[in-house]
Amino acid sequence: MTVDLPRRRTSTGDAPTPDASSPPRADPAPPTERKSGPARPFLLDFVPLESEKDTRLARFFERLAAGRLSTTRCARDDLLHWPPRTACPRCHSEELSWVDLPESGRIYAFSAVLAGAPMGMEADVPFAVGLVDLDGVPLRLFGRIEGRPWADLAIGLAVRVEPYDVGDGRWFYRFRVVD
Amino acid sequence: MTGRAVAIVGGATTKFGVRPLTWAELAQEVGAALFREVPALTTEDVDSLFVGAAEPERFAFQSHVAPLAAEQMGLRPHRIIQRTELACASGQSAIRSAYAAIASGLSDVAVAVGVEKMNLPSMAEANASMACVMDRAWDGPAGATAPPFFAMVAQRHMLEHGTTEEALAAVSEKNHRFANANPHSQFYEKTFSREKLLRLPVIAPPLRLGDCSSMTDGAAAVVLASEDHVRRYTRTPAWIRGTGQYSDFHNLANAGSLTEWPGLTRAAHEALGRAKIGIRDVDVAEVHDCFTISEIVEYEALGLCPPGQGGTFATDGRGDLGGDLVVNPRGGLLGCGHPLGATGVAQAVEVFRQLSGTAARPAENAEWALVHNLSGSANVHSVMVYQRGGAA
Repeated sequence: MTVDLPRRRTSTGDAPTPDASSPPRADPAPPTERKSGPARPFLLDFVPLESEKDTRLARFFERLAAGRLSTTRCARDDLLHWPPRTACPRCHSEELSWVDLPESGRIYAFSAVLAGAPMGMEADVPFAVGLVDLDGVPLRLFGRIEGRPWADLAIGLAVRVEPYDVGDGRWFYRFRVVD
Repeated sequence: MTGRAVAIVGGATTKFGVRPLTWAELAQEVGAALFREVPALTTEDVDSLFVGAAEPERFAFQSHVAPLAAEQMGLRPHRIIQRTELACASGQSAIRSAYAAIASGLSDVAVAVGVEKMNLPSMAEANASMACVMDRAWDGPAGATAPPFFAMVAQRHMLEHGTTEEALAAVSEKNHRFANANPHSQFYEKTFSREKLLRLPVIAPPLRLGDCSSMTDGAAAVVLASEDHVRRYTRTPAWIRGTGQYSDFHNLANAGSLTEWPGLTRAAHEALGRAKIGIRDVDVAEVHDCFTISEIVEYEALGLCPPGQGGTFATDGRGDLGGDLVVNPRGGLLGCGHPLGATGVAQAVEVFRQLSGTAARPAENAEWALVHNLSGSANVHSVMVYQRGGAA
């Protein structure tokens, strides 16, 4: 999925003023201005907004951009969460820490979208999706499965986590079959 | 039961299908049908209105639909007016809310209506709207929609229990056959043999087109009344004897076993317990066959057969006419189509007709009926139990 960013006026809010005699800007940059983000109307875009302006889980996406799939663990009761959270669902503590997740796993179940894809994903059809048991942790994550046609996938097949740039500076993750 | 006894005293549905009309026109059509179907009902009688609608913001770009529906139906509710949203169970949610309001004494006569307009110029947009029922931020970007999720349920059921594509086709054949007695169903007068179903294109392997319910426009409405008001409308009410609900998870990572739905077992246990009956007492059931595999897992989770034997239950015809009980005599979601908010209400209309002896495909001498809706990725289960007429 690639999305072309609209050209926006660049903010000069923190930049040195080229002409000291110029009056101060009367119109500060609008709050919606950001370095990256969806170009089409946000509410038809499933990829979340990822910056610190938008989510307390921005660290997840920063780590993902660095190649690390991670999640939160509760410092009080040690519960490993998915998806990452801001409060523990068991003890409601807000003292959570980031932990990296294993990069390998095995397919627990899979299917494929051969018709009826959501808007923005029509060009991907056919695509495979599945639930993957990550090695060594009690987490079973849903995601795209790349690397083989869906008809050649099998339950138990080894896959690895693959973070990827969705095309506009935001990051998400998918799985790729290990050859 | 605690509180006042409550019954459904009548109901109506529109024709389900790909309809050349708007959300508001569906509400108008079902309002007209309801007042024809329940001649003693006046607009002044209806003190409360509950509107089951899953995604009018997405499908019709319309919010605040409760007063819109009231205006279309000619109602001016003066006690409670609200919308209920629980995705595919929004309609049952409206009925449960109306039931609670009447049982508590807040309402005497209420209408529960479900409306959904799903067919849009862009199917891709409609599919995106359906996908946002899932955890859109974490499962959505991968393309999580209902068909691949329920396909994984089917895949695991086949692996763990040896369930076959023929068993899936048996469910679809039965429900499409029942839909042929229901002129309001989307697939009225369309026949699907098991052989034909097994040749339809694959949508999300192993599920084929005939394993999936459709995008459907439709509306349904029922009138609920307290024990003091029932007789004004009918001599054959369908009494609500029990309800139960259970919400287990939302993100797909937290689904646990795909093939066991303990949330349904708990919700049914609660509803049947309140009614003081067991599942073997149920004569007719309207269950949520959004996909063929759903009905198979539901046979098991409801306790109609042991875990893993839902496929055999289907191929042996134990949910068919002359079986243990009749499952989905209306035609199910597979045969009738699945206008999200309307489905649960349309099931209640069928139950009223079954228990009052006016159903097109009657179960024999039915006294007890059960209605089940799941919503989303089978993460919420909602169950109601009804009993045939007689005293409160």
